[in-house]
Amino acid sequence: MVAASEETLPFGVAPGMAMRHAEHFCPQATFVLPDEEATARIRELIAAVFYDLAPVVEVREEGIAWIDVRGVVRPGESIREMRRRLLKAIGREPRLGLAPGPFSARLAAARARPGRLLQVGDARAFLSPLPSRELPLDAEQLERLDLLGLRTLAAVAAIGPSELESQLGRDGRHAVLLARGDEPDQLEPWKPPMFTSAHRQFGEAVADRAALLFVARALCADLADELGLRGAGAKHLRVRLVVESGEPEQRESIVRHPLSSTAELFGLVSAWIKEWQPRAPITELWIELPVLEGAGRRQVRLWTGGDGNSEEVAAAMERLQERFGDEVIWKPARSARGA
Amino acid sequence: MQGQKLELAIDSIRLRYGSQALTRAGELPPPQPWASGTPIDSLTGIGGLPRGRLTLFTGTGTCGKLTLALALLAKASQEFAHAIVIDGGGFDLSALLPFSCELGALTVVRAPAPEIAGEAAASLVRAGAGFLLLLRDVPQHWLGPLESGASRSGTVVVGVVEAPDRALAHASSFSLGFSRQEWVWERGLLVGLRVSARCVKNRVAPPLGGTELVIRYPLGTQTPADLRQGITEVPLHVEEEEGRPRKSAAV
Repeated sequence: MVAASEETLPFGVAPGMAMRHAEHFCPQATFVLPDEEATARIRELIAAVFYDLAPVVEVREEGIAWIDVRGVVRPGESIREMRRRLLKAIGREPRLGLAPGPFSARLAAARARPGRLLQVGDARAFLSPLPSRELPLDAEQLERLDLLGLRTLAAVAAIGPSELESQLGRDGRHAVLLARGDEPDQLEPWKPPMFTSAHRQFGEAVADRAALLFVARALCADLADELGLRGAGAKHLRVRLVVESGEPEQRESIVRHPLSSTAELFGLVSAWIKEWQPRAPITELWIELPVLEGAGRRQVRLWTGGDGNSEEVAAAMERLQERFGDEVIWKPARSARGA
Repeated sequence: MQGQKLELAIDSIRLRYGSQALTRAGELPPPQPWASGTPIDSLTGIGGLPRGRLTLFTGTGTCGKLTLALALLAKASQEFAHAIVIDGGGFDLSALLPFSCELGALTVVRAPAPEIAGEAAASLVRAGAGFLLLLRDVPQHWLGPLESGASRSGTVVVGVVEAPDRALAHASSFSLGFSRQEWVWERGLLVGLRVSARCVKNRVAPPLGGTELVIRYPLGTQTPADLRQGITEVPLHVEEEEGRPRKSAAV
């Protein structure tokens, strides 16, 4: 069993347990087979939600997420924000643990009440009374620990790493270091994929342009939020319309200045949609950003005294040129230089 | 009774969604002014042209509205990263050059159709251009996006039209009507004109009546300061009319 919902825990169900045992403890539970695609999607969603809270974020498929708050100016705010965003994303109060490393933080979170933070100062003291079954070992290795009489982490920590290595191999050494609170593992930072998209499938095919624009704006807002979290901008934009019959229709463009705000994305998308003549009513709308540029998001009102983002204005001018031709924009300074 | 119910509803909305959720129009802060350095600033009531709002210069024939707008454009080009002209075909760069315009910041959008003018104005204002000069009409359905975009980005939008249609007049927050009083001649040369500028609409502050300006055409090599000085205000006195103080010009 990979993960268990909050309601099953009082019955003695715990992640890592065999299905048979879980069914025995909680026969009324619903068992769901792992859906790799859905799990990966949720994992990506949660990682994206945390991306701007700390420099290093890792999300595991078994429902555990870490953020490394070392060096963060206000770690408390990051943790509070983490809780708020998780609650919004999954609709459940998360259990939170703050500890010197990922292993002790995971165990602290597992022992916290929903919506509460359990803070651990001394990892070794916190880990000592916990059962050795919490170590990331396979069933056979855990059985062996039991036979050796090492039933708590304190007992595991008390023996030398090389002694347990001789019994369990490299995992034995690793287990001792974990039990001592030495935290030998590092988080694997999540990196956002350099491609994203948003789409909407319509219950009934849409033939109304205003409705399509309305949906497109909402999708652009979602994409802009995501780009904001990732600190990225789109270098390539593609809009696909799936129509009732026939091949999907699409339009795409590479942009010189990365687009990152709703206004920029929707500025280009709406211009296309307004003049699009689809062959049939539309059943699906896709907005894809196939090429993202890291740190493409620009800080508004950073350098000029009077007005805002110079690049956004330049991007708006490019869009106008794309729609109405190059001659629509005239820069007298360039003409003067040319002369 | 109705007033009490309304107060109760307002209080409950503020309690539930926060004090900023609902604001009375009278309590809204006035827009930030952009000091143009011309006597027009004193007519707005806030010390400059309102940022994020549409200002209109209206008047028939040669009444100085375009000259004044070009002076503002030149000033804006020195202060903002983007000063933009939406032109329907009548913009003459040579008329702007004597005002010492910073050409690097100037962009002219050549909009042969009102629809293009509307879309260009709305998108550039939304993108955050500092100053936008509208020299052609904009379709009614683009005025909403133009207003909301300007309000968000704080762009100073100035429109120059002979006579605004109802939609444009409604969209503007500050309108000045210009009328020519007389030409100014010196040593047989036409050097400027004397115009009356009257505030016909002001949604940013209580209206301040009108004033009289002497607009001197830029001649020869002059500094921007010289040119701004070229638009001078005739001294005012305040007189009473219909029980309300009103500024008017006395020559």
